Amino acid sequence: MVQWTGGAARSAAAVAMVLGLAATGCGGGEGGGSPEIRYSWWGNAERAEMMREAIALFEEEHPDITVTPTFSEYDTYWEKLSTQVAGGGMPDVLQMDNAYLREYSDRGVLLDLKQHKQSLDTSGLLEGLSTAGVIDGARYGVPIGGNTFSLVYAPELFDEAGAPMPEDGWTWQEYDEALTAVSEHTGGDLYGASDYTGLIWVLEAQLRQEGGELFTDSGELGFGRDRLAEFWESAAGLREDGAVVPADEAEQVKPLAPLGANLSASEFTWDNMLTRYVEESDLDLELAPLPTDSGDSGQYLKPSMLLSASAQTGNPDAAAKLVDFMINDPRVAEIFGGNRGIPATEGQREAIDYTEVDQAIVDYEDDRMSDLQEAPPAPPAGAGALETEFIRLSEEVHHGQMSPDEAAGEFVSFAERTLSS
Amino acid sequence: MRSSAATWPRRVLWHALALALLGLIMYPLVWVAGASATPTNDIVGNTQLLPARPVADNFARAMEGMAGISVWRFLYNSLLLAVLTVAGTVASSALAAYAFARLRFRGRNAMFVLMIGTLLMPFHAVIIPQYIIFQQLGLVDTYVPLLLGKFLATEAFFVFLMVQFMRQLPRELDQAARIDGCGYWGIFWHVIAPLSRPAFGTAAIFAFIWSWNDLFAPLIYLNTPEKFPIPLALRMYADQTSTSDFGAMIAMSVIALVPVVLFFLAFQRLLVQGMATTGLKG
Amino acid sequence: MVRTAQGTPSSHSSGDPAAPPAAPTPAKRARRLRRGREGAAGYAFLSPWILGFLGLTLGPMLASLYLSFTDYNLFTAPSWVGLDNYRRLFGDDQWLQSIRVTAAYVVLAVPLKLALALAVAMLLASPHRGQGLYRSAFYAPSLLGASVSVALVWRALFSDDAVVDRILRSVGIETGGWVGNPDFALLLLVLLAVWQFGAPMVIFLAGLKQVPNQYYEAAEVDGAGWWHRFRNITLPMISPVLFFNLLLETVNSFQVFTASFVISGGTGGPAGSTLIYTLYLYQQGFTHYQMGYASAMAWMLILGAGLVVAALFRMSRTMVFYSGDEGR
Repeated sequence: MVQWTGGAARSAAAVAMVLGLAATGCGGGEGGGSPEIRYSWWGNAERAEMMREAIALFEEEHPDITVTPTFSEYDTYWEKLSTQVAGGGMPDVLQMDNAYLREYSDRGVLLDLKQHKQSLDTSGLLEGLSTAGVIDGARYGVPIGGNTFSLVYAPELFDEAGAPMPEDGWTWQEYDEALTAVSEHTGGDLYGASDYTGLIWVLEAQLRQEGGELFTDSGELGFGRDRLAEFWESAAGLREDGAVVPADEAEQVKPLAPLGANLSASEFTWDNMLTRYVEESDLDLELAPLPTDSGDSGQYLKPSMLLSASAQTGNPDAAAKLVDFMINDPRVAEIFGGNRGIPATEGQREAIDYTEVDQAIVDYEDDRMSDLQEAPPAPPAGAGALETEFIRLSEEVHHGQMSPDEAAGEFVSFAERTLSS
Repeated sequence: MRSSAATWPRRVLWHALALALLGLIMYPLVWVAGASATPTNDIVGNTQLLPARPVADNFARAMEGMAGISVWRFLYNSLLLAVLTVAGTVASSALAAYAFARLRFRGRNAMFVLMIGTLLMPFHAVIIPQYIIFQQLGLVDTYVPLLLGKFLATEAFFVFLMVQFMRQLPRELDQAARIDGCGYWGIFWHVIAPLSRPAFGTAAIFAFIWSWNDLFAPLIYLNTPEKFPIPLALRMYADQTSTSDFGAMIAMSVIALVPVVLFFLAFQRLLVQGMATTGLKG
Repeated sequence: MVRTAQGTPSSHSSGDPAAPPAAPTPAKRARRLRRGREGAAGYAFLSPWILGFLGLTLGPMLASLYLSFTDYNLFTAPSWVGLDNYRRLFGDDQWLQSIRVTAAYVVLAVPLKLALALAVAMLLASPHRGQGLYRSAFYAPSLLGASVSVALVWRALFSDDAVVDRILRSVGIETGGWVGNPDFALLLLVLLAVWQFGAPMVIFLAGLKQVPNQYYEAAEVDGAGWWHRFRNITLPMISPVLFFNLLLETVNSFQVFTASFVISGGTGGPAGSTLIYTLYLYQQGFTHYQMGYASAMAWMLILGAGLVVAALFRMSRTMVFYSGDEGR
């Protein structure tokens, strides 16, 4: 028994060492010879097929580089990636979400792509996206596509119900009236919208319209308990009147959103999701400007996904070349069309022969471009967890299990804990 | 009593009862079968049991495979993993179970407790240290991490299952075999193993199905899409950030059911070969 | 009655069933020799397991024990924080919620699933035409595993105005849909577990097949009724598999993950009503990147489930009957 304990202490120490080593990347990469790049992304089956074509093109162009692809869907992608990072088996090039960027870059596992300028040209990025992925002067990610938070709605239903139609500068109250009108008109088979206070991005839009931010520049929460409680409270009337989809009905149609399941006439979402909703819903859908009480829309161009490289890669240059190819080559854009969102570079944006829906998204963004504001800095590490927690507490409020104030208090203290660690 | 005395009203009652229960239990499966022939946009929230107008294009899309890899490849990978898992699990667990159930040696009870203890460890709490081991050995993206443990009886479930069965076998058999000049291996091979066939069959079935449906271990350890088993491919049809294709997903899971059903049908015969049928007396 | 019918051959009363009863020194030496050989054989047969345990299981378990005393975000080296993680657990409402949810799940799912599995196994154990087919059909739900398809079926069955709701309404019970209702959502997970009762059923079947028919025939001659036969023959004879099923279903229910992960889409919703323990552990480790805290949760689970398992083993000493065991 004594011996066993000694052994245990030793193996624990060994594991601690390995954990440390793996994280700091002392494993070492191969380098030299003909570089092999592991490229990891999330997405659906369709995207996997497109990636194959794009990678074949890249290998044709760079016969000395071999790309080994790997993919999974979004939910499981992050468990796999974090295990790989912890264990020292990180892919060389990987798809990254803006919400998780700092989680990884703050811990030094991502490559500063600025060091490989000769292989990676970022000058083609749209103005609004040129600084996305840059943190404290280092480039940890390059946006692949951009999107902006918007409203998708079914004009026909709004029109039939005699509801106020979306227009530039319409107010939140007008929007709420529209929802009530639609729900009354359809007699409850279909609601005006799903409960939009379940989305942290609607809160962000409102905060920005008021001149605030979701997170301060120093990475703290940009709002207090009262503001959040007020936000959740603001839709209480809509919930009572049955103007928004009740929480239990929304739950039943998951994994679809109510709009995709023909349960509502509008939904706040990222504009590139229009593609998905058009496919799912029986209604004719369009994009509309966000309601605002200040005349300011608060919208900005956000990277829908980024490409990052591993700080441990043995072939940083080849990795940079692959990133360059994926964001700049017009043929890549032709392959993907709108699958990765609307491309982040001018060159790729113009190369695509857009479908009708994708064209609508491009037009929407072009139309609002003058309105779009500067993007906030990448959210602090822990933002991903905060979003999950926000969704959970919203559900508690929507199901009437918690008061808005109580839930807001819990969220704020959770945020304090998460953001400080 | 059981075979001879069953009169026809009892037989009818038996079948009626079994069929009623079966109907209840099969309902969801029929829904799945129906959904595989339902247009993909009508699947979620569809409360109908069967589609009004069945379509076949879900299957057509599922059979296309993905990223240039055919669905046969995924099925082959799953089959290879499952068959090796069954072989490794049954062999290694049987050896360990024989030791635990029939032999006396120092430390047996302590090791048994440790083995039961390993049952309690949640997968997600040990996956990172386990990954580190295989990463250090350069074995990530091979089937070794998925199979090595199976050949080393690390799944206590199977060892314990066999222990429970082997402890039921009469001791007199060992003695008789020993008198015939059998050593421990001889007793295991000629006496215990043949009599444990129902337990082995049970273990084989479970090992096959669990390997077939396992998502998280292949997710963590496999990188090359050509090596993916079916569950990894299945998940790709339901990505929350892009358009999902539930029709193709359900169609593929129906296709993936066929080999498991066949395996079960083949192995369930083993289950009935208990002592009652081999004519041994307790 | 059965215990005597099973017989307690006199040789069983000595500690080693293989040893001839009582003898002087040379026999004792022979026995010691055999003990030695038996020990060697034991380790030889156990060697794959020992290798697997030392090589693959023990290290990671100790590592997670170590990590439970650290702050570990997966990306930078863990730093020692002593008992902080454990202290934090007791102030964590969600952790307490996950314990409540899991306890309710275990208490509901285990007995229901085992009762159904045993009932169907007994139904199928008697020889009837088409047995293999029935057996396969009853096992069919378990073949499906817990995939996204299952999540979709469950929503389709238990939503508002779906088949279950309609049936209940026709007999005057108004519940609305169960899927979106936090009061019922856990019940759906329980029903999923019960529906997939194939594994314990197959084990029960194999156990029932080991009961020699003579016992039933003898009991029949004695004029024993159905309940009497079940209570005095079936139950004791299948007690090892019953114990196995009880133990394993309990352990597995404590650790159930995939079902709630898939059905709630990983959230544990609606409103935390399906936040099973391991799902919360997963969220802490892989969404919040707090693997130290998640490891502490894992070890609290081992402790809690370990106590239950120990209690079950203690119970088994008096309740479980192994006909091939050495006497005590």
